Amino acid sequence: MTSTGNSSLCAARRKAVSTCVAALCCDVGFHEADKIALETLTEMIQSYITELGRSAQTYCELSGRTEPMLNDVAVSLIEMGTDLAALTMHAKKSQRVLIQPQEQMRPPVT
Amino acid sequence: TNGSDVPPAGTPLAEFLQQLEDYTPTIPDTVTGYYLNRTGFDASDPRVVRMISLAAQKFISDIANDALQHCKMRGSGQSSRKVGKDKRYTLTMEDLTPALSEYGINVKKPYYFT
Repeated sequence: MTSTGNSSLCAARRKAVSTCVAALCCDVGFHEADKIALETLTEMIQSYITELGRSAQTYCELSGRTEPMLNDVAVSLIEMGTDLAALTMHAKKSQRVLIQPQEQMRPPVT
Repeated sequence: TNGSDVPPAGTPLAEFLQQLEDYTPTIPDTVTGYYLNRTGFDASDPRVVRMISLAAQKFISDIANDALQHCKMRGSGQSSRKVGKDKRYTLTMEDLTPALSEYGINVKKPYYFT
């Protein structure tokens, strides 16, 4: 499963993620970025979300459930070496670039 | 949800759940949900999706912050020439590569990518 799929749906999501990565870089304090650096970070965030989802799903199925709960995600995060308390602090940071949610024109085809 | 103290180590997850209710991550829920669905993750609980978005954001923010520190350190040697100007920081692979290597990730610039 490659993250750079050919379908236009993949491209749309990738564009959105790329914008988010750029917003996060702005947030940290960068003013501009090279394309290749942004692409690298975009690729990494895609892998991160995918890996986190896979891990959480596996933990969920290990305990005999089908729908992942917050605990499964928490265990996955801990396994991946994330500090949950630091995550809370990160969420409380006030100055963030927010991307307004778009009106959904049609139901997504997945 | 008031105050900025670090929550006690006893029940952080329950409190965190409450806070996630009114937290809007930079990454839209639908985008994260799409990537999660591709892995077989049934992302029906928005709070779970938001927590994953938040974790991904923190991951990228931490790396970008490290890269910024590298960029500032590298620039401090040259800054004596043009003092007083507004510094504009550019994210380049030159800064990103050492930041990523701290995380154990080795990136190489592909030869064909201009």
